Amino acid sequence: MSGSGPTPAQRLTLDRLADVLVPEGRNMPAASAVGVSEGLLDRFLDAAPALAEPLLSLLDEAPAEGLDAFVRHLASQRPGDFGVLSTTVVGAYFLSAEVRRLIGYPGQQPNPLSVASETDYLDMLERVYERHPGYRECS
Amino acid sequence: MAIFSKVYYFNMVTQGHQSHVLIIGAGASGSVAAARLAAAGFKVVCLEQGDWVGPGDYMSAQPEAELAWVERWNPDPNARRGLADYPLTGDADVRPVMYNGVGGGLVQWAAMWQTLLASDFRVRTLDGIADDWPIGWGDLADCYAQVARDMSVSGLGGDPALPEMDPYPNPPIPIGKIGRVAAEGMDRLGWHWWPGANAIASRRHGNLQACQRRGTCMIGCPENAKATPSLTHWPSAQAAGASLVTGARVTEIPVDEQGRVRGAAYLDRDGVEHFQPAQVVMLAANAVGTARLLLLSASPRFPDGLANSSGLVGRRLMQHPYRTVTVVCEDPLDSWQGPWGQVIYSLEFAETHPERDFVRGAKWMVMPHGGPMFAAAEYQEAHRHDGFEAVWGANFHRAADEVFGRAFTWGIQAEDLPEDDNRVTLDPTMCDSSGLPAAHVEYRVSENTRRMLDFNVARAVEAAEASGAVSTLVRDVWPTGIGHVLGTTRMGNDPQTSVVDRWCRAHDVPNLYVIDGGVFVTGGSANPTATIMANALRVTDHLIEARASQEIPV
Repeated sequence: MSGSGPTPAQRLTLDRLADVLVPEGRNMPAASAVGVSEGLLDRFLDAAPALAEPLLSLLDEAPAEGLDAFVRHLASQRPGDFGVLSTTVVGAYFLSAEVRRLIGYPGQQPNPLSVASETDYLDMLERVYERHPGYRECS
Repeated sequence: MAIFSKVYYFNMVTQGHQSHVLIIGAGASGSVAAARLAAAGFKVVCLEQGDWVGPGDYMSAQPEAELAWVERWNPDPNARRGLADYPLTGDADVRPVMYNGVGGGLVQWAAMWQTLLASDFRVRTLDGIADDWPIGWGDLADCYAQVARDMSVSGLGGDPALPEMDPYPNPPIPIGKIGRVAAEGMDRLGWHWWPGANAIASRRHGNLQACQRRGTCMIGCPENAKATPSLTHWPSAQAAGASLVTGARVTEIPVDEQGRVRGAAYLDRDGVEHFQPAQVVMLAANAVGTARLLLLSASPRFPDGLANSSGLVGRRLMQHPYRTVTVVCEDPLDSWQGPWGQVIYSLEFAETHPERDFVRGAKWMVMPHGGPMFAAAEYQEAHRHDGFEAVWGANFHRAADEVFGRAFTWGIQAEDLPEDDNRVTLDPTMCDSSGLPAAHVEYRVSENTRRMLDFNVARAVEAAEASGAVSTLVRDVWPTGIGHVLGTTRMGNDPQTSVVDRWCRAHDVPNLYVIDGGVFVTGGSANPTATIMANALRVTDHLIEARASQEIPV
């Protein structure tokens, strides 16, 4: 990540905002518990550097109290700013190795295909062929 | 009249300056023309405003792969804001997306390979609307087969909904778990489906490696298994002598006193002006970019834009408005795995039916569902009208818990009919980084298209239920397009109602050709790349064959 990066205060604010969006539940940790405001945030902003400035501005704007209402206000009245916040939180959250382990996501890994492994749909395909009237003729 | 002749004009070429044919745009159509012309011995120069891209530029093999969509590989140039991108302004129900670089839109495409229907060329005759093409399916048949080989397409022939074709060069990509579940639903309903054809190599072929199912097709294939012109066409084109100039932003296509184009003026990355002379110019900058260039090239002789005596340059933009039905299943489907092409498709509702309240139809295709970030975004979008609580807070984890890895998507792309008011013009105030007017796009989804999409979405929900879905996520028309931009320089026999003739030569300018998707008369519902490339090949072959009668500047 370029520049000085988020301050500790901004990271703390992000943790609190993030937990409004992604609290603990369904056997999944809250956003703050996996460190969305720490190294995951830095990785996110490395991948999406143009979001850094609007995100940090938003974090500076957030009130000390009433963060739940602030987030809901963004969602209903300021969709662009809400998009910056929510994309950051969700993007950083799913970078977490712990989160990925819990949902069974290995990442976009290579997994060679075998073209010889599938022939058992041919019966269904034969029925397509038999019932189809043929393409629309035109001269 | 000056006569265009390979042999004759070889002696007149100034090395490094003059060219027989100048191609503007190194994407789907420009690459086909460049490779063919260079192989035939023509001196070819191609100007491309973007740069080369390849596996070293992609984020696909990184843990951050899903974040590629956010910025660097966002398909929307207004969001991506790359150096080669120009702004798109205007009030559009669907905003075009594109990639500017070597390969053009085929850098970020999903590689779905689909020919038009035979009926797509005869819409006026069959359905009494829009216009017929001046060519038919048979005029493209051989070229469809050739470009499928050049693009290492993997697929299964024999689809009864399409005219007979040569076999694809590679066996189809396995339909996998998601394709099987979807196909079983279609089978229960008695509806058409077929294994998808994709320009993705199911085995090593040509310059492509075998697909590794990484599922990052649209943000760049790090294995080089997805066909893109930098792999499939430019190596042979350059080996045969074609010159590709990147970072070249064309500003104008000037004409001589006889109204023939002389070449193109362009700016390099440093803003330095150049002029590339040519005997013939082929525009291949997509239906937005080409229309923009023609309008930018207005002159006293062509005050409304080059080749625009019909007034149709920029009009009749078509984009295949798109909706999705995501099918959520009980059992895990590992549906983050790729390829992110079409594993199966359906043409069940692609033709006009007299009992429906719309004309023409839509094509469906099944795709995987991506990683958890994509699942969350899809869930949120489908519930956007249900309020904050539906998708955030305690309900946030439902997307990962219920949707991620257990869903696939029926993509539904509608045939939008050509409408004069859906158009590309020059923005009067906004400019690109070179000071050239931005492309201003006005586009409305018609009532016919909305009815068509509503009908097809309802049928797709039925298909989902027949597949045993536990739920569906239905999205409205996507506000950003799917990279299909067509129709702004339509072909036809009548100069008053078309921009180019059946050989895609401008009616008004005898040495100017348009070879991108702008020449489509109607859009069909098929993914257009196969037709764009096949038509570019057809036109280029004709140019070569008819070179003795080609007019050029004196």
